[in-house]
Amino acid sequence: MKKCYRFFGGFLNSQEKWLNQMANKGYRLVRTGKLSYEFTECKPGEYQYCIDFVAGQPYKNVKDYKGFLEELGYKVFYKNANLNYSIGKARWRPYGKGSGQIAVNPGNYNKELLIVEKKNDGRSFELHTTNEDKASYYKTLRNAFLIIAVLFLIFSIISYFQMQSFSKGVIIFGLLGIPFLIPAFLYQNQIIHFSKKSSIEE
Amino acid sequence: MRDNVRGGALTEVTFFILLALYERMHGYGIMQFVEEKTGGRLILGAGSLYGALNNLQGKGWIAPVDDGKGRKKEYIITDIGREIAEAELLRMKELVEIAEQIIGGKGV
Repeated sequence: MKKCYRFFGGFLNSQEKWLNQMANKGYRLVRTGKLSYEFTECKPGEYQYCIDFVAGQPYKNVKDYKGFLEELGYKVFYKNANLNYSIGKARWRPYGKGSGQIAVNPGNYNKELLIVEKKNDGRSFELHTTNEDKASYYKTLRNAFLIIAVLFLIFSIISYFQMQSFSKGVIIFGLLGIPFLIPAFLYQNQIIHFSKKSSIEE
Repeated sequence: MRDNVRGGALTEVTFFILLALYERMHGYGIMQFVEEKTGGRLILGAGSLYGALNNLQGKGWIAPVDDGKGRKKEYIITDIGREIAEAELLRMKELVEIAEQIIGGKGV
């Protein structure tokens, strides 16, 4: 048994890469915590990992999707994308659809991601394969990060107008927004890439 | 999905799912069907398949079989689905004919 502490935030690709590196070194994921990953030993390269972003979907849909993946023979873990230790609380996800806008605990709170494990059969492992689906998947991701960045910037601007100067609040809110802008920007590039591709080929 | 009923071309994935479901099949069966029939050229990821199945079910082109009882959810094509698939076959034949005329279609 091996326990590692990592936090990847919005960088899902880095998290996916790291899990696959661990698998190649002979570590299979058995449990996830807020910041921790527990592994057991396995044959190097026996398993492959893929991450899916499911926040913003109604919890019922997420459970249904998880069941679908498990029927295919995959193992599925829930994982949080953000840090929050509060219990018994609701969170508003402005980027969500329908009842997916509200995340509650217990429920879809802190279950923004699915880590999907597949036994390595020599083929590449991807969940989203068509260009159109990839573009819409990255769009969901971009919107999630962009809206948070925009909210912070709005707070920053409001505090500027309240104080009529660059107070601490203005700077702090401004700085808090930046880490969310980076993934939003990266996902934007993916959207453009796959939208262009999908207009020519499938 | 860009597919629309009045004469729009189906995506390759949509058409393959409809074809696969001329026999009742669960998700894994559809993935295998697509991979086998295309010799591995087209590989369908689980997330894309899930989205496509939900969309097609919403349109009424496919339907779940034996709802509730079976552990694995199976799907089958509906009558509307068959109509759509047949229309797509005709459209493709037409397209192939035009392409043959222009490109010269020897040995096809």
